[in-house]
Amino acid sequence: MSDAIIGPVVSLYVHVPFCARKCSYCAFYSEPSTGEEINRYVAALTREMEWIQCQRPLQTIFFGGGTPSILNLRQWEEILTTMHRLKLLPAAEFTVECNPATVSLDKARLLHDLGVNRISMGVQSLDEALLDRLGRVHSREMVFKSWDILRKAGFQNLNLDLMFAIPGQTMTVWESTLAEALAMGSEHMSTYEVIYEDDTPLYAQLQAGEVAEDEDLSCAMFEKLVERTVSCGFEQYEIANFARSSIPAGLTATTIPPIPDVPRLACRHNVNYWRGGQFHGLGPGATAYVAGVRSRNWANTQLYCEQIEKGCRAVESSECLPPRRRAGETAAFGLRMPAGWPFATFLEVTGYDLQKEWGDAIQELVAQGWGELSKDSFRLTSEGLRFADSAAQLFLGD
Amino acid sequence: MDAAHIRNFSIIAHIDHGKTTLSDRLLHMTGTIATREMEEQLLDSMDLERERGITIKAHPVTMLYKAKNGETYELNLIDTPGHVDFAYEVSRSLSACEGALLIIDAAQGVEAQTVANVHLAMKQNLTVIPVINKIDLPHANVPQTRQQLEDILAIPAESAIEASAKEGIGIEEILEAIVERIPHPKPTGEVGLQALVFDSYFDTYKGVVSHVRVFNGELKPGMLVKLLHSGKTVEVKEVGSFNPKPYLRDRLQLGETGYITANIKSPQEVKMGDTITDVRSTAGPLPGFKEIHPMVFSGIYPINTSDYEHLKANLGKLQLNDSAFVYQAETSVALGFGFRCGFLGLLHLEIVQERLRREYGMDIIATYPSVIYKVLMTDGTLKQVDNPAFLPEPTYIESIEEPMVKTFVICPNEYIGDMMALISEKRGAIDHTETLDARRVMLTSLLPLNEILIDFHDRIKSITRGYGSMDYEHAGYRQSDMVKLDMLVNAEAVDAFSCIVHRDKAESRGRALAAKLKEVIPRQQYVVAIQAAIGGKVVARETVGALRKDVTAKCYGGDISRKRKLLEKQKEGKKRMKSFGSVNIPQEAFIEVLKA
Repeated sequence: MSDAIIGPVVSLYVHVPFCARKCSYCAFYSEPSTGEEINRYVAALTREMEWIQCQRPLQTIFFGGGTPSILNLRQWEEILTTMHRLKLLPAAEFTVECNPATVSLDKARLLHDLGVNRISMGVQSLDEALLDRLGRVHSREMVFKSWDILRKAGFQNLNLDLMFAIPGQTMTVWESTLAEALAMGSEHMSTYEVIYEDDTPLYAQLQAGEVAEDEDLSCAMFEKLVERTVSCGFEQYEIANFARSSIPAGLTATTIPPIPDVPRLACRHNVNYWRGGQFHGLGPGATAYVAGVRSRNWANTQLYCEQIEKGCRAVESSECLPPRRRAGETAAFGLRMPAGWPFATFLEVTGYDLQKEWGDAIQELVAQGWGELSKDSFRLTSEGLRFADSAAQLFLGD
Repeated sequence: MDAAHIRNFSIIAHIDHGKTTLSDRLLHMTGTIATREMEEQLLDSMDLERERGITIKAHPVTMLYKAKNGETYELNLIDTPGHVDFAYEVSRSLSACEGALLIIDAAQGVEAQTVANVHLAMKQNLTVIPVINKIDLPHANVPQTRQQLEDILAIPAESAIEASAKEGIGIEEILEAIVERIPHPKPTGEVGLQALVFDSYFDTYKGVVSHVRVFNGELKPGMLVKLLHSGKTVEVKEVGSFNPKPYLRDRLQLGETGYITANIKSPQEVKMGDTITDVRSTAGPLPGFKEIHPMVFSGIYPINTSDYEHLKANLGKLQLNDSAFVYQAETSVALGFGFRCGFLGLLHLEIVQERLRREYGMDIIATYPSVIYKVLMTDGTLKQVDNPAFLPEPTYIESIEEPMVKTFVICPNEYIGDMMALISEKRGAIDHTETLDARRVMLTSLLPLNEILIDFHDRIKSITRGYGSMDYEHAGYRQSDMVKLDMLVNAEAVDAFSCIVHRDKAESRGRALAAKLKEVIPRQQYVVAIQAAIGGKVVARETVGALRKDVTAKCYGGDISRKRKLLEKQKEGKKRMKSFGSVNIPQEAFIEVLKA
């Protein structure tokens, strides 16, 4: 078997490691900041951008965090003009994560005018008590206000992040949040169960017995989510991601060719992750996957800036798996999408024949009722998706 | 040295009453070792012994002492294991002596172990020299200790020597008493050599090194000698003594103590308590020999099946210096290939397991310990069963007998009620109660050995806040209504969880085990039923609910590497679980349940 056919990198992730306040569930790298530190970061980031080798312009760009929207107008302007100068822009899909507390009309307009065409808003909940519990800085009022600002600035592709199974969240609260969020009419929803990650305050509360997990309730909430989103015209295209297929008039996303079995307004940047695609990662703590190597930048802004200022790459660690294990990893994560793996696509990405290499795993999953095999693809059933981690294990390792 | 100038003695004491410190003092006082060589607890050479403050192996040491009468005596200190698990070893060591120092802590008084050991010494007709130790302690109570000597042990109070081994008080008096009170060795009346083997150890270069006491005649290198009980004839290569390091001697004469080597490669060929005679003589065996049999059995399995050969090699190495430890290969459906191991008692079991873990770095699972049951079959045959897996079907069993022990429990008065409740919970009967002093009593009771295997000692310690002590001696067999309790996981019996219990306790043990299993078996994709059954009848049931999902909610580019590693680790973990039907049971479950 040959190694994957490696083409040009078409995706870019940029990590913005600043937050007004750390949320209680968040394990991402971020730190409180001063204006000066952010300026230094912007200078380093724009310098790092000059070094990347990729297709120009890029297909997808994603600014995540942290809170990317915490950057001020001048800082955004500097980043975006640099990207234009480097011919990274205009990208077909350019997403910036926003916190409802940090969106102003000026900023929204600037982003929109300089090539950002998709905003992902971290709403998490529309219940004040739960927002408080999660340590979010915004209120439900701010969500609606920011929403109007974003629409007014011209954004036609908006995502809402929601969380369920939050400690203290009842089914009733979840249903009303869901109803209100759906009424806002977003194009995309990322909706995931609370994760108790190590080193987060929420995890500490769980360990201390202050909060408890209720598996039955979280399963019921998930079923409610699928039922409600589907009835409102969304399609589940990944375990936690829902998107519409109808494209609003005038959206630039129409320039991207459709992906079979995936809704047109799916986040292509994320689909690229799940389907084993390459991507660059810039900024402190950002990960990249280029030429079969997964690498990660230093998750320390000062160290990151020092390295870049010295003209060095800020890579903290990198890992290159043998081709077959890498292909197994790609198989495992691709199965998070209900579309599963078209065999032709898998072969193109990894250089391996999924059916031949992991025939036993596929048979086992089919026999268990978790997998569905067709002539040219393999996918997990809706039951199988609920056990995607168990299924993934069959493809991982030696 | 002529026999009139030889004294052979041992020291008996409860843990921590100061046996080792006193031994060291005697070695120092007689100039056997210099102060600078004095390392604390010189005689206990194994780390584990030091840590637990107990001596497992007996090391004889020869000292030369110039007494007040101006004459020089050869004093042989034969150290004994201090625990009744090793009662036979103790009795062999004691029979190599004419006398014993009995050490009692002036602050603690007589303890259960002291009673058991004094009984052994008296059976051997030894002259007992009581030593009241630690008299320097502020809460030492010498008069009360003297009183206990008389009341509990029937030893004249005025014969006791007051001492503090730590402070060096009374040491000379003890040495003088050894010379004056302990009789010198006398010939047995037989013709020719008679020497008692009371211990042995394995030396990589010399083979088995046997500790001997010459009762008649003399032992010299080059002699052809016979080991009467094992029937083996060997040529003596080396003869020597310990000071405490081994040194060569040209002979060992009547009454002397030391060691011999004879190119013996297997420790099993040298039986504890055997008699060595000259091949040409007709001298008979010395009294007291017994074949030693293990009393407690447990399966030892490697956690990683690939460690099987490694474990086998290490068990072999352990056995070289512990001939009482026996093992043979066995297989368990649940645990794979391992070994059925026999031990003299609980402490012995713990020591072996601990040494495997610590000294040999092995990851092992030890199954629930079992005693030997005598099963009378309906066809009139008698079967000995030490493994629940081999207990015949109830229909073929006429009756079952279980081993009993006589226990001595000493506890402060205020806990006597709780202690009686514990003994009764453990199916014991109190034979009698004695008042030791104003604050303590001794309960003598008869209990089934299987009831004291696991937590009896710990329970005593916790009931009495550490002040209670316990010891036991074997007390034959008694017919009992024993049944086999099986644990079923999704209707399949898991042999490693089976045990033989009294019918009255089967149900509660079944319930406890089922509850514990529910805790330790992780949720699976299916419902897992856990049942406890006695002869097919289910007495307890627990259910482990099915997993409803196993999926990471959120997974984007930055999570992939970390997530992959986590899933790979979980996959490895599943490989290490044992599968029963479709149920995976983690190794930890076996360990947890055996502790339950």
